[in-house]
Order: sequence, then C-alpha cells, then structure tokens
Amino acid sequence: MALIERKGQLELGDGGDRAEPIGVFTRPMAETGWRSWVTTVDHKKIAIMYGVSAIFFFVVGGIEALLIRLQLAQPNGKVVSAQLYNELFTMHGTTMIFLFVIPIGAAFMNYFIPLQVGARDVAFPRLNAFSFWAFIFGAIFLNLGWFLGGAADGGWFMYAPNSGTLFSPSHGIDFWTLGLIITGIASTAGAVNLIVTVLNMRAPGMKIMRMPVFTWMSLVVQFLLVFALPVITVALFLLMFQRNFGATFFNPDAGADPLLWQHLFWLFGHPEVYILILPAFGIVSEVLPVFSKKPLFGYPFVVFSGAAIGFMGWGVWAHHMFASGLGPISVAVFSITTMFIAVPTGVKIINWIATMWGGRLRLTTSMLFAIGLIGMFTIGGLSGVTHAVSPADLQQTDTYYVVAHFHYVLFGGAIFGFFAGFYYWWPKVFGRMLSERLGKWNFWLMLIGMNLTFGPMHIVGLQGQPRRTYRYAPGMGFDMWNKVESVGAFIIALGVLVFLINAIQSRKHKAYELDPWDARTLEWMTTSPPQPHNFDAIPTVHTLDEFFHRKYDEDPATGAMIKVKEADQVLEEMGRDEHIHMPSPSYWPIAVAFGLPILAFGVIYSHILIVVGALMVLGSLYGWAMEPATEPDSGGHGGDVAPSTELVSHG
Amino acid sequence: MMTARRLKLAGALGLGLLALTGCSNNDNPQDTFGADGHYSKLIADLNWVYIAAIVVGVIVGVAVILALIKFRERPGAPVPKQVHGHTSLELTWTILPALVLAVVAVPTIATIVKLNEKPKQCMTIQVVGQQWWWEFSYNNGVTTANEMVIPAGEEVCLKITSRDVIHSFWVPRLNGKKDAVPGRVHDWYIAADNPGDYWGQCAEFCGLSHANMRIRVRALPKADFDKWYQDQAKPATTPTEAAALRGENIYSQQCASCHVIKGAVDAAGNPVDFSKPVPLVSGAAPNLTHFASRSVFAGATFPLYLDDPATPDIDESDPYTAEHPILNRPRLEAWLRNPSANVPMVPDDERGMPNLHLSESQIDDLVAYLAGLK
Repeated sequence: MALIERKGQLELGDGGDRAEPIGVFTRPMAETGWRSWVTTVDHKKIAIMYGVSAIFFFVVGGIEALLIRLQLAQPNGKVVSAQLYNELFTMHGTTMIFLFVIPIGAAFMNYFIPLQVGARDVAFPRLNAFSFWAFIFGAIFLNLGWFLGGAADGGWFMYAPNSGTLFSPSHGIDFWTLGLIITGIASTAGAVNLIVTVLNMRAPGMKIMRMPVFTWMSLVVQFLLVFALPVITVALFLLMFQRNFGATFFNPDAGADPLLWQHLFWLFGHPEVYILILPAFGIVSEVLPVFSKKPLFGYPFVVFSGAAIGFMGWGVWAHHMFASGLGPISVAVFSITTMFIAVPTGVKIINWIATMWGGRLRLTTSMLFAIGLIGMFTIGGLSGVTHAVSPADLQQTDTYYVVAHFHYVLFGGAIFGFFAGFYYWWPKVFGRMLSERLGKWNFWLMLIGMNLTFGPMHIVGLQGQPRRTYRYAPGMGFDMWNKVESVGAFIIALGVLVFLINAIQSRKHKAYELDPWDARTLEWMTTSPPQPHNFDAIPTVHTLDEFFHRKYDEDPATGAMIKVKEADQVLEEMGRDEHIHMPSPSYWPIAVAFGLPILAFGVIYSHILIVVGALMVLGSLYGWAMEPATEPDSGGHGGDVAPSTELVSHG
Repeated sequence: MMTARRLKLAGALGLGLLALTGCSNNDNPQDTFGADGHYSKLIADLNWVYIAAIVVGVIVGVAVILALIKFRERPGAPVPKQVHGHTSLELTWTILPALVLAVVAVPTIATIVKLNEKPKQCMTIQVVGQQWWWEFSYNNGVTTANEMVIPAGEEVCLKITSRDVIHSFWVPRLNGKKDAVPGRVHDWYIAADNPGDYWGQCAEFCGLSHANMRIRVRALPKADFDKWYQDQAKPATTPTEAAALRGENIYSQQCASCHVIKGAVDAAGNPVDFSKPVPLVSGAAPNLTHFASRSVFAGATFPLYLDDPATPDIDESDPYTAEHPILNRPRLEAWLRNPSANVPMVPDDERGMPNLHLSESQIDDLVAYLAGLK
C-alpha cells in the first residue's frame, strides 16, 4: 500500500526537531466554508464538485441542443445564423462529451472507488484535487470563445484543414484546443491516481475478482484514458502549433495529408466512447442486482467483457473514416473488427437480463433507468452494428442516422446509467433520498423525450438528411420528423428540469436510513454521508458482495437466503480502527491548476503570459513538493486521531 | 403499474413499426434505399442487416418486458435463488453472436470489393469540391458546376478531390459517399439505370455553407447526352441583343477575374484573358460558359428555371421540381445584388463571391447576358 509508517513528529534530515515547515505557508486547516472546498483533498468533496460542474455543463450543452432543434424544426429556419449554428453544434458536442459525461463519470468514480475498495481516500489526494481544478479551469477556458469573438465552429471532431486559421480565423478554435489540452491533463492525472488506488489500496481480502463491477469498469476506463488522452493531446498540440506558431502539420500545400488529423483524432475518439459508456455499465451492474435481489449473473464474464471492450476498442477507429479515402483492405479489416466488438457488449446485455430473470424486481427510479439503459443501449448498439457493415455505412455516415446511433448509446446508455446512479447513490452521498414520485416523472419524460427526439433521426438519416447542416430543403421528406424531434428535445428538457427540482427539494426529504436499498457492496457499510475517513474500521473482505453476505445467510434447512443481521448491526460489529490519519488540505493543487489557463491565454494573446503561466505552474509544483506531509499538531480531521505511530499517506 | 408495462410494450412495438416506415423505398430525392443504379443497388442488397438488427432488438425488448412481468416484486416473496451464473450458457451466448456476425461479414466484404472495382468501360468526370460548390470537368475540356450530366445506363468513373477543405460527394440514390480531400484524388463510381434527376449534397462539414453545397445529377438518354456533350464543348456565342452585349462587357470587367466563360470577349472585342490566378482561396469559381443550359445555380441551392413566375416567397421555393421554362429572375438578381445574403459566405476572406455593388441596370444587363448562355 502507498503508505509509510512514521514515528512521532516530522523528522528533518539534519536530525533537528521540526519547528517550522519547509513550505513558505502553513498548511490550510479549514474544515468548513468555501475555503474548505478550495483546499480540500477529500475525494468525496472533490467528487461533489465534479458532479455539480458536470450538471451545470449538462444544462449548458442542453441549451445549445435546444437552440439547434429550434432552428431545425422547420426547413429554412431563421432562429440562428449559419455561423452561430456551427458554433452551437460544435460546442454542444464538445460540452456534452468533455464537460458533462467525462466529469460526471469522474464524480462517480472519485466518490465511490475508494469506498467500494475499502480505502480512506485515493492514492494521491492532492493530485486528485489538482485534476478537478484543472478540469474546471479548462472547461471555463474552452467556453471563453463565446465571449471573445466567437466559439469554436469546426465541429467537435475539428477536421483539418477546416480547423486552420485560414478557414476559421476567430480564436474560438484556439480556446477549444487549449481548453481540451488542459482538461486532458486533468483526466490523465486522474487516471494515474485511480489506477494506483485500485491496484494498491484495496481493503484486506478484496481480491481483484471480488471488486464491485463499477470499480472494475472504472479501472478499465482509467487505462483507456491513460493511453488515449496522450493521442489527442498530441493532435491538439499539432493543431495549436499550426494555428499559433505557423506549423504546417495539416497543410496539404506543404505536403501534409489531412487524414493525419482524422487518424489521430479517432485513435483517441474511439476508445473515448468506451470511456464514456463503461462507467454507466458499471453503475447498472450495481443497480440491477440490488433491485433484483440477485447477484450479477456471470460476474467473471461481465468483468472480462469490459476488459475485452477496452482492448478491442483500439482496433476499430477507422470505422469513423470509411468514406474518407482509405483503401478497400483497410475498410474491410475495420469493418470486421467493428462487428466483433459487438460481442462483449452483447454479453453484458444478456447477462443483465439474466440477472433480472428469476429475481424479485423492485421498480424504483434507479432500477427504471437501469432497465431503460438495457433497452435504449440495445437499440443504439444495433444501429452501431449496421454501421459496421461498411457499404451500408457509406450511406449512413455523416447523416442523422449516426446522430441517432450515438445519442441512443450516449443518452439512452451513458446518461440513463448516470441517472440510475443518482437515484441509487443520492442517499449515500447526501444522506437524503430523492423523491421517487418526481423520479418517475423524470424517467418517463426522459424516456419518451429521447425516443421522440432520436428515434426519427434513424429515418431522416436514411432518407438523406446530412449532419451538421443549419438548414435543409423542403420537399426532401425531412420536415415532419424534424418537427417531432424538436418537440422531443423539449420533453427531455422538462425531464431534466424535474430532476433538478428533485435534487433541490431533496434537502427537505426524509432523513436517511442507513441502508435504504438493502444493498450489497462496501460503500454501504458506513454512514450516509460517510465521515471524512470513510470507515471507522477498514473491513476485511471475504467475498464478492461482502455487505450482502454479512446481512444474509443460507438457511441450512431450505437453502434460501434469510436476513440474519440489519445494516446497523453489521456496522457495529466492524468496530473502529485505533489510529486514523487523513491527508491534510492544500492550496497548491489549485495554484498549479491556475497557471494552466494563464499559460493558454499567453499562447493566444501575448507570449509573455506563457512565461508567467509556466512560472506559476513550476513554482506551485515546487511548493507542492516541499509542503510538509502533515501538520503534526493537527487534532481532528473528522475523527479520532492519535498523533503517535501514525500511518501517513503520501498526500 | 400495468399501464407502465403496457406503455413500454406499446412504445417498443411503435418504435419498431416506425423504423420500418423508414425502410420503404419512396420518392424522396435523397432516399438511401432509392437504389437507382448499379452501385446503390449493391449497397441496398445489404439492407437485410437492418431487418436482422430490428429482430434482435425486438427479442431483447420482449425478454426485458417478460422479465418485468414475471418477476415483479410481490409482497412477502422470499429472497430469490442467488444464481451466480451458468458457464456453458454464457459461452453459448458469446459464441453464437460471433457466428452470426461472421455470417454478416461475408457479404459485407464481397460488397466492399465490388464497390471498389473499376468498371471495364466508363466515362471519367473530375469532381472538385470547394467552398461551397462542386465543379465537374469532362475529358473534352468541358467544365461545369453544380449539375453533373451523365448518360443513363452507363458507368461513370469519378475522380474526386478538393481545392480547400474536406468535402464529401454524395448522391444517395446512385451510390454511397466519398470524401473530397485536398492533396488526394479518390476514385469513385456512379451509374443511373434510367434517365432522371438525382439529388445529393456535400456530406462532410466544410464550414459556413456546408448545408448549401448541393449536387444535381441529370442522367440523359445516350443520344441526348452525346448532343449535350458536343454542345457544351462549343464556346459561348457572342450576344446580339444590346442589353446582353452590355452584360458581356460588365462581365469582362467585373466577373472574368473569377468566372470563366469560354469565348467571351471584352468591350474591345478581344477574347477575355483567363490566365491570371483567381483571387479566391480555392483558386476557382464556377465556369459559366453554358450557364443557362443548367437547371440550378449557386451550389444547386436555387432553381434556375421555375414553374410559375408568380411563385411567391422565393425563399420557400422547392428547388427539386422538374425544369420549367421561366427563368428565376428574382433569385438571379438577388444573387448578383448581394451574394452572401442568399447563401452565407465569407468574401472578405476570399471564400465565396464578393458583393460587387452593381447598379440595378448592370444587374439587368448581366441577367440578359447570362440568360443567353445556353
């Protein structure tokens, strides 16, 4: 484990006693108020900040979508100009993918991975905080284009040469490029952090095949991030140098092949979509067993299929390029690999249904969203298989058929999975339940809304309506369906509104029960919300679904499972560890993070700022490294702390 | 709630039916199931994949709904049997889909091969995309724009490229799409079984007026095509009527730096010089030599000829009507008056046609000239 044992007060190399810390400033101590959030290194607080930010950007991206649908509700729409439309669809895609789905996944993973593996925090708590601050600064930076001359307008896929300054002279694409470099740094750091956490900080007895599926899927996602983010970061650097420093990486006149961007982008872009969906698959793999009162059917197959998806996802990228001029051999190979990646996904779907089969189904809101995912993701996955048939894809690609496909897998898949997670884990995080009545409205509005919005897109796509067009001609057969789609979008918006109301009013909802869902996994074996140190005593794990097996035992006579203990009894019996020490808060993570947007501003406007930003980053890294590992006199970090013989984590 | 379950069932069936309506071959101009030629037929022969996908989807949907009905929680029911898995079942439902997909792969690969086979005989057309119109050049030196005329019943070899950003050439009823990439030339093929009009549009996001970069393919009977081919190779005739002559003069001064009209002469009677580079990023503007012989203009966004001169509300006019003899004078004048007001462009960045601030009489003369370029 990444902990070291230290005796007594901090010992300095010169043998002296530790009187003054080496760092210039003393370590922050705040436990409440805004300062406690700005300097926190607690994975749970960081997760909540990720969650709030993600939901904010979900609304931003949603408004961008509604404007798009208002424009397309009629053939020659005049709601927005062609230029604004191009900015809207670029930012809608970018915001939803990078500023909503990824950070909401990070929120869930940050909150629940340590709890699910029985740890007190992640391996590198300050790095965790840095990841959040870099993310939020990058997210804001990305959106500055709206206020500073026009947002990015080259599409979220930003193909060259259209992304060059010749064809897109405003700074929008620069804000996009640099903003994504910054958020990419955040996610890469987070990935390293969570991989080390899962591999090194599991509770005693938690073998890797006893980990909850959510943690498993998250582990696969972190590996995907670690390998995929550098690819897009390289592409973004090439683009940034082309736009700001005269490089010609994508300039055909200089001998470049514009397809280079496409290969780099999609080498990232395809693993990216598995990054987007696997956390939701993990959540659903938790929710279905709890509300079916049965274990996940075929845990090893589900785990291995997740890992298989992670591997195979690297071999399919050029299916985004079937029409781009690849030769027939490449097209054929990628066609086949794309078909076969459907297999591990299909295994999951079937195993989920098999989990429900023979169970005792409680149709809570969380369960409805999970079942909704099974249905909607299946539709999206099947349209994906039709894409794999590359001759058919030559008709489908760049039409609304593709838009239908990915919205079914992303909205009906990823987003439904996250909403299942909201309703399931809200009492754990906030100690309050979301209203089930409002939850049902939330679910049905979203389900009906998404089918009305994205269902007809299959049809108009195959009838020849291309993507990324601010208008379409009358008389093509697109008119009626586009109106239906626009109505559906507003129904989705209503569903989201109901969720937001539900979230806000949950503060007044009934106070928590310890184990409202009769759950199965470790994160439920503590209070709601958990104390800062997560567990009074780190449990020893004997089996998969440890919590369930502490509550239930097999009746020797009938073989049926009967409840032998309630949750509070299980917690009582866990006792308490004698010495608990938690990493201290720090402001260096936000300081390092803040240097990045300054540096990025410098690239666009004034090269001096590059130096300023770089100095801020380097200086803050120095402060971070030299910061004392702990405040020796600290008394209470949310729990009993004995100052001697402490276990100190590398915070 | 029984209603919730019935709603879901109804929804699933409804969706399935909805999906099938999209599959019907109808008259929509860009219907990908239109299959009006050899290549699009090759693709359409794989349409059974959609049926297979729907069948699988229905099976999954039915399984979910059955589970919901059968295993809904009933008060007092015991904890269900804690089944952890069933290895042989799971192996089966891993291997079976893989086998199904292997079956799908075979005709897929065969079709890929056939789509990429160069026909033994074909007429070659150079296709060049640029912001925001398509140029088509034939082997006899004919260069035209927006409208590609081909002989019906014959294979046409396309050589597709771009002069600026990536575009994509797509005429759904005749074939799938193929990207137009600057610095590369892509081979692609179309064929129309029967004479008629086939519509398409650019299918790779290319900036401001990506939505306005349309294509009209006119397939003519062989004899008609041969005549068209010969007529197009002739230079433009010098107009005799005064307004059109004035129009030619205006053209030679204001328009010839970008637009080629083969055979045009300036006020002094000298042939216009087209050797200087065109002041546009893409380096080319539509060739107008036989402009009036076309049925569409401005990225094929507007019809050149209309049904009815009193057609109200030109904005809403449907360009996809059969050709008719009335010149679309209002739209032509509006275009010359202020091109970017009709189709968004960026002339200040040399991408698109600039506003030449022509007077109304100049516009009238130009229209007279253009209308005579048959």
